[in-house]
Amino acid sequence: MGEDKKQKFSAEEMEIKIDYENIDVEEIMNQIKRKIASRPAQEIEQQEEETRNDYRETIPPPLTSPPGGLRSKIRRILLKLMRPFAPLIKLMVLPVDEELRETVENLDYANRRLDELIDRFPQEIGRLESKIDLNHQLVNERLELAFKDLGRAKEYTKLLHQLTHNLVVEMTKLKIEKDHLKIQSRILEKDLAFLNRREKEVEKKVFS
Amino acid sequence: MKIAFVVQRYGMEINGGAELHCRWIAEHMKKYYEVEVLTTKAYDYITWENYYLDDIEEINGVLVRRFPVARPRNPMRFGRIQQFVFHHEHKIDDELKWLEEEGPLAPALIKYIDQHRADYDYFIFFSYRYYHSYWGIQTVPEKSILVPTAEHDPVVYLRIFKELFSLPRAFIYNSEEEKNMIQRVANNSHILGKVVGVGIEIPSSWPTQQVLEQRGIASDYLVYIGRIDENKGCDKLFQYFLKFKERTNYPVKLVLVGSTKLTIPHHPDLIYLGFVSEEEKFAILQGALLLIMPSFYESLSMVTLEAWALEKPVLANAHCEVLQGQCQRSQGGLYYENYAEFEETLKLLLEDDKLREILSQNGRRYFESNYTWEVIEQKYNYIISKLEEEKENK
Repeated sequence: MGEDKKQKFSAEEMEIKIDYENIDVEEIMNQIKRKIASRPAQEIEQQEEETRNDYRETIPPPLTSPPGGLRSKIRRILLKLMRPFAPLIKLMVLPVDEELRETVENLDYANRRLDELIDRFPQEIGRLESKIDLNHQLVNERLELAFKDLGRAKEYTKLLHQLTHNLVVEMTKLKIEKDHLKIQSRILEKDLAFLNRREKEVEKKVFS
Repeated sequence: MKIAFVVQRYGMEINGGAELHCRWIAEHMKKYYEVEVLTTKAYDYITWENYYLDDIEEINGVLVRRFPVARPRNPMRFGRIQQFVFHHEHKIDDELKWLEEEGPLAPALIKYIDQHRADYDYFIFFSYRYYHSYWGIQTVPEKSILVPTAEHDPVVYLRIFKELFSLPRAFIYNSEEEKNMIQRVANNSHILGKVVGVGIEIPSSWPTQQVLEQRGIASDYLVYIGRIDENKGCDKLFQYFLKFKERTNYPVKLVLVGSTKLTIPHHPDLIYLGFVSEEEKFAILQGALLLIMPSFYESLSMVTLEAWALEKPVLANAHCEVLQGQCQRSQGGLYYENYAEFEETLKLLLEDDKLREILSQNGRRYFESNYTWEVIEQKYNYIISKLEEEKENK
């Protein structure tokens, strides 16, 4: 593959450690998941949203109205017209055992579905637990990093404080020094002026 | 011993799914038993309209008996009934009506099984979800072996199938995940069952370079082979791949092989080749960096096995338990649940030549130990010998 591309991605790829002697696909996938989870929160949210969308697409669509058609329409209208007499008609037309059978069948079906859900429950819990464990591990890792960063920032602040203090002391010293030098230079100026004047007097005396 | 393979469609023109699976198994088992295939005259899996004319024909040395489809499927009506059955409280009768609508409605096939039950020692039914398996197994439960080819979709939870799964003498599963799912649904772990799957027919040679030149494929590419439709997750694959290209600009193309039911986006990095011959398929697979399997529902992905047979790593959709399980068991591929994982895994696979190489070797080893024809034939023979033992003990 292209070398330039390799360089482009190398920084990211460094994070995934692969034991080539003993490849473990699950371990690689866990590392990839961890790497994705350690990205900035906004990006993670976006990815999670995508994952949710993906998941939604795998499950059947939500309940919709029952199938239409002329027959069901007529049935609905007839039922509406006969509503006041419906219990009586039902009682007369349908044998009670038929009603009971249907009810029992529906209950049985509901029971089976519940059984199925109960069967799946431990698995789902297991999956959730493993996801929570992974997230917990990631949060801990990130907290640890954050605490390390915080400690470092604390030390850095202390250093900065010390540095500022030292700078103030040095500046004060320099100011005193500067004032002292100023006085010295004034004295020297006066001395020079005196010497100039003296020179002129001496010259006058010598040449007169 | 005479064995009948019962399947919804059968023919050389049908090149995928349970039908191809059945044909290969029948052709391989004919060296051990007298084999016949009982099927319908349908070719189109949407309408099941009668297509084949002959009642009896021989395909690759296997006698095929075809029975007419009494009524083709009306997809609209079937869709309505399916919607009702999947999402509303309903009776067993509604499920049976759904089954009848799903088809292929071939009562003559069931009648033949009933009348000729004594002529065969075992009936091996392929695909639990169709008319022929449901009524065929009800007709001869004592001689039936079911190859469910089940996917984790709502059909498996229908009540009629819970009952059906307790009838056959034995099950031949495609994967551990399929076995667990069916045993969970039907609580039938007491019935003899074995994970077998299917072997792969690999042509003796394929001209990779020539095919790539003819097709104008010059750069590195990933390949998807199979039916291109939403059920196979192809729309998601296009979305992910184009996003991957946009974000990374990686110099790689996606080659698509198979008949399409989707509009493929116009993009220079998506190369659609349509339906190709077996030799061409293997040539294209051989030239690819890896195979992508975006399908949400698979009971056994034959093309994944082909990729491993050719030492190609696989990137699969993790939402499909079977594909994820296969990748983990084989250590021959990675998988993704969402775009972020798709990008990371694909980048890793494209970048890391060594990883690709090791995954390929693992895939090949997995294929050799589980899916060569010797292994598959042994497993079928084991099931039949076990049933024979049971028969003798009775």
